[in-house]
Amino acid sequence: MAPNKKISLTEEDLVRALKDREKIAIQALYDMYSGALLGVIFRIVQHSEIAEDLLQDTFIKIWNSADNYDSSKGRLFTWMINIARNLSIDKLRSKDFRNANKNQDIENNVDFIDQQRKITFNADTMGLKDMVTALKPEFNSVLDMVYFKGYTHVEAAEELNLPLGTVKTRIRMAIMELRKHFN
Amino acid sequence: MEEAKAYIETGILELYVLGQLDAREQQEVEEMATKYAAVKAEISAIEVAMEQYAIKHAIEPTSGLDKQIFEKISISANEVNTDKGSAPVNHSSINHHSLNHSSSINNHAAINSGSAINHGAKIVPLNADHAASTIKTLRYALVACVGLLVVSVVALYSTHDKLTTANQQILALNVDKEKFASTVSFMKDENKDLQEIATIAADPTWKAVKLAGTKISPQANMMVYWHKQGQHVMVDNTKMALPQNDAAHQYQLWAIVDGKPVDLGVFDATAEPKKLLVAMKEVGNAQAFAVTLEKRGGSISPTMEKMVAMGGVSI
Repeated sequence: MAPNKKISLTEEDLVRALKDREKIAIQALYDMYSGALLGVIFRIVQHSEIAEDLLQDTFIKIWNSADNYDSSKGRLFTWMINIARNLSIDKLRSKDFRNANKNQDIENNVDFIDQQRKITFNADTMGLKDMVTALKPEFNSVLDMVYFKGYTHVEAAEELNLPLGTVKTRIRMAIMELRKHFN
Repeated sequence: MEEAKAYIETGILELYVLGQLDAREQQEVEEMATKYAAVKAEISAIEVAMEQYAIKHAIEPTSGLDKQIFEKISISANEVNTDKGSAPVNHSSINHHSLNHSSSINNHAAINSGSAINHGAKIVPLNADHAASTIKTLRYALVACVGLLVVSVVALYSTHDKLTTANQQILALNVDKEKFASTVSFMKDENKDLQEIATIAADPTWKAVKLAGTKISPQANMMVYWHKQGQHVMVDNTKMALPQNDAAHQYQLWAIVDGKPVDLGVFDATAEPKKLLVAMKEVGNAQAFAVTLEKRGGSISPTMEKMVAMGGVSI
C-alpha cells in the first residue's frame, strides 16, 4: 500500500469487511481514523509514546472484538472511540503509569513539554482553536473534560463544583454548537 | 413525539454517545431509539458531530505504526486461517464456533503480547533504568566508602605504630642525651683537674711529694701536692697505685709534723676515681706524709702497722 494512497470505504462496507475479518477493513480504519483516535488518546494520557502504544492496543481490540459491534446501536466511530478512551483511562489509572509519571526526570519533562507545544502550535489545530474560541468557553470546557481528558461527567461536575444537571446541560449546549458548526 | 422531544432535551443522548452511561441507562436509550426515529436521528447527529470534532483534533501517528499494527493483526488472522483450514468439517455452524473460539483465545494472546511489548520495551525500562542506575551508583558509593574506611583504618593504625616508635626513640634519645650530658660534665671536671695538675707541676710554690711503698705493700706508691704558703694538700688520683680498699676501710693521710702524725682526712683507692684531684685538710708545716689503712671514716691516731706508703718532703 503506497503511503499517500489512503483507503476510504463507506461505513457499511467497513463494518461488513471488519466482521468478515478482511484485513483491508483495518487498513481503511487506520487511514480514516488513526489520527482522530490518537488525538483523543494523547489528550488523555499526555505522553506520545504511551499514546501510540495505546493506539496499537485500540486497533488490535477493534479487530478482535469486531463481533461485539452492533451497528443498530450507533456509529462505528463512536464504538471505536469508546474503546480507545476506555483503554486510555485504564492506562491512566494503572499503577505503572502513575509510577512512570512520578519518575519522569527533568529531561523527560522537557521532551514532554516540547511534545505538548508541538501540538499546541500544530497548523491544523490553529484553525480549530479559532472555532473553539467562538464557542462559549464554559460549555466547551465541560465537553472537553469528558471527551478529551478522561473525566466522567460526574467527576467533571465535582471538579468544576457544578450541579450534575448543569454539567449535562453544558455538554448538550456544546454539542449543539458543534453540530451547528459542522452542518 | 412529545415524549421523544422531552427525552432528547434531557441531554441523556449526549452522555450515551460519550460513553457516560451505565448498562441499564444504555439499554433504556437503545429502547427509546428503536421506539422513536427522532431519538435515533438525534443520536446519529450527535455522533457525527463528535466524530467531526475528533477528526479536527486529530494527531498524525508516527509513520510505520500502521505496519506494526497490521503485523500483529496478521499473526492473529493467520492463526485463525490455519485453524479454519485444519478443521475438515463442512458443517457451517461448527466451523463458525471453532472460529469464534480460536479468535477469543487469539484476543488474549494478541492483547497480552501487545501489552508485553509496550510495558517491556517502552515504559518499564525507563523506570527500571532510573532505579537500577541509582542503586548502581549508591552501590559503587558504598563500596568506595568501605574502601576508604579500610584505607583510613590501615593508615591510622600505621601512623599510631609510627608514633609509638617515635615516642620510644625520643625516650631513648633523652636517656642518651642525659648520658652524654653527664659524660660531658664529668669530662669538664676531669679536664679542670688535669689543668690544675699541670699548673701545680709548673708552679714552684707547689711541692710534689712522692710516697713510696712500705714493707707491707712494696708495690704501693702515690703523689701528694702540697702548697706550703696556702697550706693546701691534694691527692693525685692519676698517680696512685694503692691496693683497692673494701667498704669497711679507707685510706687516711697523715702529715708528720715535728715527729707527730696530724690527720689530713680519708680517701678511697678505686679503679675509676670520680675526681682526679682530691683536696685534703690543710697543713702549714710538714716534714713527711704517710698513708695508713684505717676503718671507714678514719682514726684519731694512725695504726702504724697498717702504713702502706710514706715519703719525706724534700726541701
